[in-house]
Amino acid sequence: MKRSLVGIFVVFAFLLAGVSFAGAAPDKIVIGHPACLSGKYAKAGEQAVGGIKACVEWVNTTYGGVQVGDKKIPLKYKYYDCESKKEVVTSLIGRLVSVDKVNVIFAPYSSGLTLRGAPVAESRRILYMDHGGASNAIFRQGFRYIVQTIGPATRYHEGTLDMIHKIAPNDKRLALAYEDSEFAKMVMEGARDHAKKLGFEIVFERTYPKGVTDLTPLLSALKVSKPDLVLGGGHFEDGQLFNRQMADLNIDVNALSLIAAATLPAFYRALTTMAEGVMGPSHWEFGVKYSAEQAKATGLPWIGPSQDQFMALFKKFTKKDMLPDYHAAEAGAQVLAYVLGVQKAGSMDSTKVRQALGELKFMSFYGGWKVDESGMQVGHSMVDVQWQDGKRVIVWPEAAKTGKACYPMPTFEEKAKDVKAIPK
Amino acid sequence: MFFEQLGGNLIQGIVLGAVYGMATMGLSLIFGVLKVVNVGHGAFIMVGAFLTLFLFSSLGINPIIAIPVAFIVGMGLGLIFYYTTIRKLIKAPELATLLATFSIGVLLEELVKLIFGSEFRGYNWVVGKIDLGITVLPMSKLYACIGSVLIAVLLYLWFKKTRAGSAIRSVVEDSEGARVCGINVGWAYALSFSLGIGLTVASGVLLTMFIPVGINPYMGGAYTLKAFVIAVLGGLASPYGAFFGGLVFGLIENGSYTLFAYIPGVEPFALTRFLSFVILLVILLIRPTGILRAK
Repeated sequence: MKRSLVGIFVVFAFLLAGVSFAGAAPDKIVIGHPACLSGKYAKAGEQAVGGIKACVEWVNTTYGGVQVGDKKIPLKYKYYDCESKKEVVTSLIGRLVSVDKVNVIFAPYSSGLTLRGAPVAESRRILYMDHGGASNAIFRQGFRYIVQTIGPATRYHEGTLDMIHKIAPNDKRLALAYEDSEFAKMVMEGARDHAKKLGFEIVFERTYPKGVTDLTPLLSALKVSKPDLVLGGGHFEDGQLFNRQMADLNIDVNALSLIAAATLPAFYRALTTMAEGVMGPSHWEFGVKYSAEQAKATGLPWIGPSQDQFMALFKKFTKKDMLPDYHAAEAGAQVLAYVLGVQKAGSMDSTKVRQALGELKFMSFYGGWKVDESGMQVGHSMVDVQWQDGKRVIVWPEAAKTGKACYPMPTFEEKAKDVKAIPK
Repeated sequence: MFFEQLGGNLIQGIVLGAVYGMATMGLSLIFGVLKVVNVGHGAFIMVGAFLTLFLFSSLGINPIIAIPVAFIVGMGLGLIFYYTTIRKLIKAPELATLLATFSIGVLLEELVKLIFGSEFRGYNWVVGKIDLGITVLPMSKLYACIGSVLIAVLLYLWFKKTRAGSAIRSVVEDSEGARVCGINVGWAYALSFSLGIGLTVASGVLLTMFIPVGINPYMGGAYTLKAFVIAVLGGLASPYGAFFGGLVFGLIENGSYTLFAYIPGVEPFALTRFLSFVILLVILLIRPTGILRAK
């Protein structure tokens, strides 16, 4: 009898203890991430991990942790290498949720990998934050736990068109020539819709296949349509080819903007002066002018490190003398969005945080942040970069620009004589 | 407007076709003499492209000078691979040589990646343009075309007028008979393989003169596919047939685009590829030895 009473007492004591443990605020909030540290997205993955570590450090030290109720809770970052492989992503998400008990999953880089992990996160009812998947298709599946920080593909060229609409309102003849891929088609779908809203006339629209080695016939046809501006590209290699063969055929337009190619230093290294004046949309570039003062002026709350602080933290964690690129910035900004979401929800519960994120608007070093009902990013503006005298200059939007646009860009004949794109 | 565009594209097609033809001659030569299908063909084109890039960007050497350099380097590579791999597999089942040439291709790609990285590179050789009214032709493309034709003619003369060329031709006709007549068949195989690789590496230079961007370790894949189509068009075992096959392919690729552009609702590029492979299939069915092969 005595033994039974002791037994009951012990069980009761454990139960009570359990209740009290469960009721207490956790001592950490864990971000889980199947990161692309090897494989084809290794470079983007390295940047993303550096960006996340930098912002986690900023939250834990400068910001003092995440305010939940009356307690400040530090962030912990748990990541594994997904090898840029879809099958590894799905198993790692399972592990992060079941074994590591993370509070949120940060999606891996790229639309394909993000889309592959989304149903797994959805089935586990855990918040799934997308910093590297731009495809709108991700948000057309009806997922309820996904939230995006990277801008969607359909908004890539909005800024370019807005800028030209403002600086040259009479230049309305637009040509679209792009790779026959899901991503490029999505980008151009958005460009086409936005162009129509702004009154542009689409005088040419054609696609070319992946892996194309000669664009001469397509570009010859484009030349005949006499466009004022050309939006094109798809991936890096065809972007290079596009620019080069426009130069070969003397196709002079006032503006040329190429997705996924023109913003990269390797683009200029390959084309040298032929790349002068060529533009490209980017999610973020080092040098953007977003600041706490700007946030105040636009009526948005500001959070996070300044751009220079972010760079210093990024270098500290990557242990390399490299600049953070947009992969790092969007991953870092996602940490800040999650922190604000948890604080607004007053909880780490994924459903509540997802709801809070749906109502959130803020600005950070990455720019604006706001999502629509589907979780797709609508508050972040792409920046437009132009090659001027061998340097990348941010020419749009006004809030982020570091210099004026050179419009019209020099002709290819002029570029062959080493004329640089210098704004007047 | 239609005829202007068609004319312009056909001119571009001839220029491109000559380079395509040149890029296929090595493949046909190796198959013709050794009966080895070099599936690593594109990797040797890539080596030529990187050689041009290196010579131009690092040493300032004109791509025209890079053509003989690439040819010599290619012949050296051909001899190395012949004596280390191909010679031992000539009598083996065809699958063995297919796998061996595939492995050589992968080996070269990974080696170049190790040295130069996987970045898409390019160079900017500005030597002026000719405005023909209906199209603009950069001089670099014209030089590539002239270079291709010259090399094809020189190869033809070498085969017809020299003892070494005659020896190789006799090995192609009947290797046992050639051996009985005192021809060193092993030497003929080695020379043909190294000559084929030399031509292929040199064609990498000509291709970068035509398109001086997109140079990366895996660029050869697209050209391997085209080379097989062209080789079959011209006759898989005939280097000259391959050259003419290249011209035909270039004309089909560029000329048909203009025609297909007038069909509403279709993307012309999708149909040009379709047409190329339809023609390939038809030729295989009607004349399996290729256009220029009688047998």
